[in-house]
Order: sequence, then C-alpha cells, then structure tokens
Amino acid sequence: MTGPSDYIAGVSSDARKAPRRVVFVTRRTSAHVRSVDEEQVQTWPEALFRAALIVEMLVIALVLISLFFNAPLEGIANPTVTPNPAKAPWYFLGLQEMLHYFPPVVAGVMIPTLLVVALVVIPYFNINIRPDGVFLKHRRRNLTVFYVVAVSLSLFLWFFDVYVALVPTLVAAAFMLIAAYSGPQSPGRFRRYLVSRPVSWWIMTWFLLELVVLTMVGTFFRGPGWSWVLPWRS
Amino acid sequence: MRALNKLWNSWRGLFRDPIQPFGIASVLLLVALAIAPAKDHFSEWHYYQHGYLRLIKNRRDAAVLQRHFEPGIHQIWLPDLGVVDRCETCHLGLTETSLGDIKMEPYSRHPVIPHSMQQFGCVMCHRGQGVATTVAGAHESALSSDGPILPAQYSEASCGQCHHAPLEGTPTLNQGRFLLARYGCVRCHTIKLPDGTSMQPADTPPPLSHIADKTTREWIYAWLRDPKSYAATATMPNFLLSDNDARDISGFLIANSVPEPGDTATLKPPKAGGSVDPTAGASLYGESFCASCHAMQNAAGNVVGGDLGPELTAIGTKVKPEWLTAWLRDPRNYDAGTPMPHYRFTDQQLALLTGFLESKTNTDLLANVHLDPATPAQIAHGKKLVEEYGCASCHEIRGVAKPDNYGPELSQIGSKPVAQLVFVKGMPETLPAYLSTKIKHPRIFGPGLHMPQFSFTPEQVDALTTALLSLTDRSVTLPAKLQIPTPQQTDYEPAGKAGQLMADLNCMACHRINGHGGTMAPDLSWEGSSVQKQWLDAFLKNPNTLRPTLIRRMPKFNLTDEERAELTDYIMTAYQNPDIDRDAMPLSGYSPDQVEHGRELFYGKYACQSCHMVDPAKDKGYIGPPLTEVGSRLNAEWIYLWLKNPQKLRPGTIEPNHDMSDDDARALTAFLMAQKGAGSQKTGTRTASVSASGTKGAGE
Amino acid sequence: MQLQKQASRLDKLMASRLWKSIFRSGRGASTLHRSMAIQQNVFLHILPTKVRRRMLNFDATWYLGTLTLGTFLLLVITGILLMFYYHPSVPQAYADMKDLRYVVSSGLFLRNLHRWSAHAMVLLAFAHMFRVFYRGAYRPPREFNWVVGVILLLVTLLLSYTGYLLPWDQLAFWAITVGSNISSAVPVVGHKIHFLLLGGNLVNANALLRFYVLHTVILPLAAVLFIAVHFWRIRKDGGLYVQQSEPARETAEEARADENTQQVVVKQ
Repeated sequence: MTGPSDYIAGVSSDARKAPRRVVFVTRRTSAHVRSVDEEQVQTWPEALFRAALIVEMLVIALVLISLFFNAPLEGIANPTVTPNPAKAPWYFLGLQEMLHYFPPVVAGVMIPTLLVVALVVIPYFNINIRPDGVFLKHRRRNLTVFYVVAVSLSLFLWFFDVYVALVPTLVAAAFMLIAAYSGPQSPGRFRRYLVSRPVSWWIMTWFLLELVVLTMVGTFFRGPGWSWVLPWRS
Repeated sequence: MRALNKLWNSWRGLFRDPIQPFGIASVLLLVALAIAPAKDHFSEWHYYQHGYLRLIKNRRDAAVLQRHFEPGIHQIWLPDLGVVDRCETCHLGLTETSLGDIKMEPYSRHPVIPHSMQQFGCVMCHRGQGVATTVAGAHESALSSDGPILPAQYSEASCGQCHHAPLEGTPTLNQGRFLLARYGCVRCHTIKLPDGTSMQPADTPPPLSHIADKTTREWIYAWLRDPKSYAATATMPNFLLSDNDARDISGFLIANSVPEPGDTATLKPPKAGGSVDPTAGASLYGESFCASCHAMQNAAGNVVGGDLGPELTAIGTKVKPEWLTAWLRDPRNYDAGTPMPHYRFTDQQLALLTGFLESKTNTDLLANVHLDPATPAQIAHGKKLVEEYGCASCHEIRGVAKPDNYGPELSQIGSKPVAQLVFVKGMPETLPAYLSTKIKHPRIFGPGLHMPQFSFTPEQVDALTTALLSLTDRSVTLPAKLQIPTPQQTDYEPAGKAGQLMADLNCMACHRINGHGGTMAPDLSWEGSSVQKQWLDAFLKNPNTLRPTLIRRMPKFNLTDEERAELTDYIMTAYQNPDIDRDAMPLSGYSPDQVEHGRELFYGKYACQSCHMVDPAKDKGYIGPPLTEVGSRLNAEWIYLWLKNPQKLRPGTIEPNHDMSDDDARALTAFLMAQKGAGSQKTGTRTASVSASGTKGAGE
Repeated sequence: MQLQKQASRLDKLMASRLWKSIFRSGRGASTLHRSMAIQQNVFLHILPTKVRRRMLNFDATWYLGTLTLGTFLLLVITGILLMFYYHPSVPQAYADMKDLRYVVSSGLFLRNLHRWSAHAMVLLAFAHMFRVFYRGAYRPPREFNWVVGVILLLVTLLLSYTGYLLPWDQLAFWAITVGSNISSAVPVVGHKIHFLLLGGNLVNANALLRFYVLHTVILPLAAVLFIAVHFWRIRKDGGLYVQQSEPARETAEEARADENTQQVVVKQ
C-alpha cells in the first residue's frame, strides 16, 4: 500500500479545527463526490450547551404553566355514573371520532393498524424517496390515479356522513388540483412550491390535516351523546 | 410583522452563541423552581392559623387557647365512614368553649350538638370536601362525593341520613317527609329506605272509574285546567294542560266511567220532611265534626278546617246530589280506600247534610265552560294523555294500568352528582338549588317534562328539599354499628266484629294503634289501661272534646248501643299495656289528708296549674288537657305511673318528667282522682271517704 | 468563539485526582479533549463527537427531538417523586391525588408538572415525527431509525395512556374504559386482549395495578432502550440529516450504492 507520508499529505492544514475524513481511492472505484465539505464542531460543548439551553427553556415554560394551571381532577371513579360524553385522552380523540362513524373493527383496529404499518414502511418505498413533483413525470397516469383516489375517497366519506374527515380531504384535493394545473414556470412562489411536492408529501399532509381536524373536533366540538357543540357555548 | 421577524431572529440568535443565554436560563429556572415552595408557604391555611394566633393573643384566656393550639394540618380520620376531614386546620375554635363570643369565621365555636365531632367528623353533616385545605376546595368544590357545603337552611337533611323516624330537633325535615307522603310525591317517585321498605303516600286520590256518577265533565275540565280555581287547598297539582288537552282528558274520563254497581237505589235524594232548614244542615255539619277533616271557606274568606279530606267550599258545584247522598250513607261503597268514616246518618240527616253541602257552590267556576260532546278521536287522545301524564300513578282508572316508577326514583337523590343534573341558565349549579327550583318550577328544565306544578310555600319547598337531600347514599353505606333501625311497620288490623266496626268507622285514619295508623288523634295502643270503661262508653256515645281550643274533634258516629258496647269492650280488653294493672289502685276512696297533700303539691311544688286546669275559675293552664273531670276519665294506676314517668307511657309527650317520689305521685293521684267533673271540684275532697290505711294498702 | 470562561477554582477541582478518576477525558479545550469528553462517557458516547455546524441552527431541526427527550427526563424525575406518594390501589389512589393537592408540600405543583409535561411530550413527539418527515430525514440510510422513532411514538402514547388511569378519577376511568373497549373489537382474540390488558372485564383495581406497573417500570425501560438506540443510530447513520446536501435526483438504489462508496473529500 502506501507509505505514511501519503497519509499525512491527505490531511488538510486546519485539521485541528475541522478534521477531514480521508479515503484512499483504489483504481476500480470512481471518485463520486457526495457532499461538499462543511464546517463541523465538537458535540461537547457546542451541541450539548445548545441542547441544555432549549431544554431549560422548555422546563421553565412547563414550570410556569404548572404553577398557574392545575391538572384536571374530577370526582372519584364511579362505574355507575357515566359522564356524557366519556372522552379518551386527546391524542386518541381522532380515533374516537372515527368510532362514531365506523364499526369498532374498522375505526378501532383497522385504521390504527394501517396507520402504524404505513408509518413504518414509509422509508422502504421508493415512491416516498423520489423527490419529484407528483404531476411532473407521468402526468397523465398520475392525474388519473389522483382523480380516481380523490373522488372515491370523498364519495366513501360522504356516503358514511363523515363530513369531519371529508372537509380536510377536499381541502387537500383542492391544493393538489392547483399543483396539477401549475407548472415549474407558474407565477407565484406558492404554486411553484406545490408543483414540486412529491406524492409522499401530499399523503402525509393529508394525514396531518385529518389528524389535526379530527383531534380538534373531538376535543372541542363534541358534547353529550357525541353531538356537535360549540366550545364557547357551554 | 417586523417585530415578529425581529423576535424570531433574536430567538435564532440564542443558538448561535448559547453560553450567555444558558446562564440566564439557568438562573430563571432556579427562580421558577423556587416559586412552588414559596407558594406553599403562603398557603391559605397558614394565613388562617396566623390569624387565629393574632385573635387569641390579647384575650384573657390566651394561655389556655395557645396551649390547645397546634400548628400544622389537623384532621379527623374515620376509616369506617370514609371521612378525612381537615376542616379543623382553619376552623380552630370549634371545640373551644371559651370562644362563644367570637362570631368571626373561621374561628367561631361550634353550637352544641348531640354528637361528638370526633365520632362523625364534619362532612357527614355539612358536606363539602373534607380533605381540602383551601377555602374554595373545601366549601365550593362539587368534586367530592358530598358536593359543596350544604346551605344552612337544609342542614336538617343531614340528620335524616341516619334518623329515619321524626326527631324533635328537625321540624323542617319532619315536615318535608310529611309533605312527600301527603302530596303523593312518592306515588310517582319511588323512595326506598335503607331497611328495604318504601316511603308510603298519605294522600287519598279518589278512583276515577265511576267518576260520571259523581260529577260532570265540565267540572272535571275546570278542575284539570286549574285545581286551585275550585279549591284553594286542592291537593292535586296543576298539570298545566292546554284547553284542548283538558277537554280531551275530561271527555275520556266521562266516557270511560261505568256506573258504580253497588247501592244504586239510594242514588235518589230522600225527601226531607217539610222544608229544608239550612241552619239545621249547617249545625249537623258542625255536630258531626266534619270540619275536623274538611275545610271550608268562611264568611271572612279564610279557609278553616282540617286537611284530611277535600275542601268543601264549592262542593255543590262539583258533586251530584244523588251521589253525595249515597256517599254520605256509606262512603266505602264508592271508594273502598277512603279514610272517610261510615257515619250512621238517618235519611233525615242525609237529606239535611246533602242539602247543606249542595248549597255550597261557586257559580263562576263553570260559567264559561261549554264543552261539545267529545269525539272518539278526542277520547282516544284523552286516554293517550292520561297515560302520558301518569294519572294512574295516583288515581285508579278503569283500563289504564298503574305505571311502575312513573317518575325517576329518588331513593338516593341527595347524593346525585351535579355533573348529572341539567341546569337552567342563571341558577346556582348546586344540588339544593336544583331540587328547590325543580319543585317550584318543574317544567322549566326542558321540553317534554311531565311533572305538574305544585303550589308550595317557600317554607314547604325548603322542607321538601331538606327531605330529599336527606336521601343520600351515605344512609346505605353506614357501618352497621351506626345504623338506626327504623320501627317495623306492620299492617295492623283489629280483629273480630269490633275490628270490622273500627274499619268501617275508619278509626285508624286518625288514631294510632300499636305503631300503625294516623297521627291526628291520640294514640289508642294503651287506651284500655288508661281510661275508665264508663267514660269511654259515654264518650263514644257523645264525644265531647277534651280540649275545647282544638278544631279537630272526634266526630259523632251515631253508633247503636250494641255497636258501642262491642267497641268499648274491645278497646278495654285489647288495648292494654301488659305492664300496667289498671286495677292496682282504686278509682276512689282516698283519704282527705292525702287529697289535700296532693292539692298542695299540685299548686305548690309542681305548679301543675301553669299547664293544666282543675278549677276553671281560677286556673289558667291551657297547654295540657284540662283535668276538671280527670277522676272519672282515667284510671288511678295510669295517673300514678304517668306522674312517675310520662315519657315511658307516651314517648315524646311534652309533659315534663319531674322524677317524683312515690309518695308525691300517690298524693297527686289521690288529688286528681278526686276531680270527678261538673261541680265536684269543691266537694271532691269530701267525697273521698275511704280510710288512709286502705289507700296505702292499695298503693303498695 | 470563546465558549467557556472557567473559574480558577473549578480548574483546581478538575485537576484533582478524584475528578480525573471519574472523568477520564481530562481537562483542556483541545479537540482531543472535547472528543474524549464524548467518547469516554457512557451516556454521551452514543452521540457523535462532532456535528455539522449548520445543524445547530434553530431552523435546522427546531430541536424537537432534544425537547422530546427533555420532557422525558422531566417526566422521569417528577414521576419518581410522585411515586413516593402514590398507592396503586382503589380507592387510595384517588385519596392520594387529594393529599397531593392539599397536604403534600408542592404536591400539586409536582402533579401539574408531570401532567403537562406528559401532554407536551406527546405533542412534541408528533411534531418531531412530522418535522423529520418533511425534511426527508427518514431516507436511506436512516430507514431503521425512522422505524425506531415510530416505536418510540407508540411507547410515548402508551406511557401517556397508562398514566391517564392512575389518578383514578372519573376522567381517568372513563377515558380508559372507552380506550380499552376498542381492543375488544379485534377479531377473534379481542376479548382476550381486553381481559389481558385490564386483568378483568372491567376497569378495576387489577387494571390500575397493571397500568401502574406498565407506566412506571416496563414502558419507561422500553423508552430508555429505544431512545438509546435512536441516538446511537443518528451517529451511525452519519449524523443529523442535511437537507441541502441531498442531490436533487437521488434514488434509493443510488443511496444504497453510496453506502458502499466511501465519501471522498477533495482537497481544496
């Protein structure tokens, strides 16, 4: 192989400050540059102090909240007195909202299982890795798939009267339509931004919208018998 | 926008050079963390304990009070009852007898009560949250099983959790319970008591299966629209029916009515001999003491009389004369369950009384009521309404089944969580407020409610609320050693021929016998031990009242001699106290000395004349019964035992127990036995002629 | 940039034998010393010794992962303190809540802090997940760390859910009743799962005990384990993901191929 002098020659002069990684290129591999060089700093103390700072600020905020807002505590558990409505913790209220429309097997088992599976497999599908705008390549095919999925999903939700989930779906579909009928040369930064979004981005955004809307509705807009109430009118 | 941008930039700047911000954040964090213990130190109970120390510092009894005072949280812990009461942390003077003058809360002394605070704690009676150490948490929190503090006007409710029999110190609670039964609340709302029995109604709703015999559709209509328009003291509440609903219900009730199968021949009013004298009818009404049970509006506009039966002010507008006659002849024929006694009126008397009562009318009531004949659709609708409003909960109606639990069960209404109640805007959101508002305005809590509108006075509403609040689940969960057994009610019915007679006369509508029956008239359980046979016979023949000031009197039943003898014998035999030998002391023959000694004791040592009178000319005692004829009324042994311990013979009597010596009691008995009535007071001493030795012998 | 101003007394302490026996990295501001500070520490060695400077900017990550870890640590501390006052039995559990509220010094504060931190942690975990997704930081070679993250999200939700029952108030009871009833809907074995989860057919004292053990022992241990893997993986996967350095048209295959190709630094 090579002598020690070659090794030293590969180290940059300010290696103390920002040590570089070095590789020995053999003849059969091509030298493909993956990333430009960039400045690195020591984790201790640079990263750890910043982490400590942000955590401290969080704790201060939580301490102040805890000093002024008391955690809820109701009467002792009583199996004979059912509060109306009986609500799950807030992060499950989206699911509970779904339970209102679909049988428990669907809303309580299938939907959460699918969600977890979907989250787990995200990085293993190329479609999620490809960063192209969804309608830039194979435009015709993708547009057809979009229409079929969007219309059938909306009809499905409409058929089961799930307006709470239908509205975010329609909003997401509307933005996708904007993206479909814009191009990289469209006026407006927002439109150009939408155009460049890949399909995984759209699905996740739709999911986020649903999650936020369903959780908000379940938390604030549901009263006795899971009826629709306005939070400011008690 | 620019300011926001600037803020954002400076926030990002924190992460460019974190050291200084880190230092500042660390200091802030320490300060924030120090607030919590500081908040603890300035807590409310600390403040009140400091206040107490300041309060007692300059008092004369400071040394004692300071010795009693211990800083820190105090609590009463009663695992049996699930009680952890920390009230005494701030209420520091509760048991300090010397703090009687302090009116300032939370330091005042607790009034004297029959229970020890260490035995029951505070929340058992006052409700509220005993574990709390803040003012709001302890008094206003609806979280605890007991809810917020019970307002003082309902505090008697707490006694009722354990005490299911009337107590002397709880008039409001007693009245509330009486009203629950009297106004038939418990006919729609089941109230189960901890011993497994249910509260029984004490009203007498008439059966409606034969109502067409009794009254007209127009009257029913007017009554349904507003019972108070017919009789100010009506028991039936106002169902707030629309004109059409009242029309349809009255149509249904008349159409549904079948004639009473019994004694139809008497439905014709018998001819009165000659012209009917209205004053004769009125005096018969008076002599029969109808007013003991029935009220009537007098000339001054006041409703006077008892409330056991319906008000009769406008009875002539209501009932048909032939029905009234039949009713007066034998009420049980029309309504087997009525408390009305079976008077033995002659046809002449029946005519007089019917005439008198039919003259009592209110022409305004039906002046504007014009009803077309009811159509089948209206009748069907009427039946639907009758079922909907649960009329059959109270009234027997042919073809309509009595609904089970028409209204919600109230057995544990006093523990109902506030979270389960629906409130009207603007009212305080507490259970007592809900109950009293519900009683006052039953229909305001939402559409489709069926509870009728009663017209209770504010005091009655408070009493009812108190009685309902006493129905907590605590009374069920009490440990066995604290449960007070309720006297078992048995269906007592006197036996034999006399028993039938007593049922016919309905004695027990007013009198109580062996724990069963009414409370209006004296308890007859030991009547046989108490009175002399001759007196009883004479009394049944012509009942004169013992207490002229009372409105309620024993009616005159026109008994035959045989009936009277039967009844007298039965009472004298059956209603004896097993511990009393009524012949142990003679009825007469006490020595003059003893009588004179008794007189001295009566007027001197025991001052009986302040409540009783022996000489109407001289004595002014009106509280107890007059004793002018007591010697011919009561047995000597009874008087003697009564004097020794009145409460033993009649629990709850207000006659004080003087703890008399045997000699004193014997002398007083001799004196009282000498009071033989009508003009004998002065000669009483002289008529007693038997020697003193004989009396002594009888006494020993 | 001078990050540290050390007092001489601190210097002396850090030069002492005791200190050196504990912290082997020794004192000094050199890169070596600073690298050693990370490498030689059992807790910190799962972190890389150096990070890209621009990843420390707030905009890069919003520090959401760090904040989530911060709430977790806060929850561990407050949780341990709360355990001193809590009995997982009926009805003592509820009485303990009242005692915390009214008698224990700063007990109310402690419970508030635990409760609000728990909510914050769930919220931050979700936020972290979405932020990672939108930055594309789940892409190879970080696939597995994304999966670990999903597991941590589930553990977080379970921690919050099991803790929800412990106060034994109406809110707790019915939230858990509603939630656990869902498990009965699983085909075939639903009722078995429901029974296993609650230790009975209803939410009762057994369920409370089960949830307590899950909440205070099993789930925190699982969380610690996966958090460690999560951080260690950051280091092994080449530090925090840098968005701009991603070639515009990279595919998964290319990325995997790149793993074999070593990075090359061209000397400027």
